Amino acid sequence: MTAGFGSPSTTLEQRDEVESLISDLGFHPEELVFDEPWELRAFALAVAAHTSGRYAWPEFQQALASSIKAWEDSVEDLADPSWSYFEHWVNALQQVLEHAGQVDSGTLHSRTQVVLDAPANRNHHEPHYEPVAVDPALTNRTGARA
Amino acid sequence: MSIENRGKKEVAARVKALESMMIEKGLLTTDMVDRFVEIYENEVGPQLGAKVVAKAWMDPEFKARLLEDATAACRELEIGGMQGEDMVVLEVTDEVHHAVVCTLCSCYPWPVLGTPPNWYKEPQYRSRMVREPRKVLADEFSFPIPDTTEIRVWDSSSEIRYWVLPQRPGGTDGWTEDQLAELVTRDSMIGVGPTKAAS
Repeated sequence: MTAGFGSPSTTLEQRDEVESLISDLGFHPEELVFDEPWELRAFALAVAAHTSGRYAWPEFQQALASSIKAWEDSVEDLADPSWSYFEHWVNALQQVLEHAGQVDSGTLHSRTQVVLDAPANRNHHEPHYEPVAVDPALTNRTGARA
Repeated sequence: MSIENRGKKEVAARVKALESMMIEKGLLTTDMVDRFVEIYENEVGPQLGAKVVAKAWMDPEFKARLLEDATAACRELEIGGMQGEDMVVLEVTDEVHHAVVCTLCSCYPWPVLGTPPNWYKEPQYRSRMVREPRKVLADEFSFPIPDTTEIRVWDSSSEIRYWVLPQRPGGTDGWTEDQLAELVTRDSMIGVGPTKAAS
């Protein structure tokens, strides 16, 4: 996107930094695929918290690996449909923040319930069937556009 | 809703809760998170919408179904999910151009387009796009619409999420669906930018 909107704040260095973090997790940056927005959000949260010094990356790596291991031990078949890489990512983020005393699980749990109970976009919950604005074509008028 | 879907909703909610707690404690700011989201936001989603558009260009019957019921047509291609329950696709013609905004928040058909770009969520876009769409498209997006074309702006809400079927670029006769999909940009499906030209 161009002028006016948006905040062009991502630098190449930032991208390099993120890619090296991803490589540390054992995969190639191009293999990083997000299926849903929350996954990208969770990804960005963990990276942002790390780069602002909230925890060391190896700590996060370890927490991620142990969440994945716990899942593997809990299912009969590794093709189980409950697999979600980013769910473990969120578990890991939660764990390192709890460990650092920055988040407590009770508050997190109740706040998660609040989010679940609130209707999505509760301010904007009805269909809008007509265009919200129409800018007519010049040829449809006798004179110039108003 | 399946168990997996409920589980996903819980995790998605936990992400929101975590973010809000981290921000309140001053561990992070939204801007810091957004910067990392930006790096990858183009890699989430829009390629799915592009696939749908390319198929509609190739297959008139599919196109008719898409315009009739976008959600069902996308499901044929196994594309769908939360926030894509009621999608409406608007076809661009020489006479009428369409563009999408969410006037209140950032309702967006993410199963086909991925996460909304930051500017889509910003108040300037949300209000100006309604007030002076022709000017916003020309000035802010460098995407002038001919004066002889009417512009309709549609308000996406959580109940109906609009997106745009752009016109097939010229010079693409005999192209495959995959080749065509390469020409479809995210912005062209929001109605704020062109498709790529055939080269």
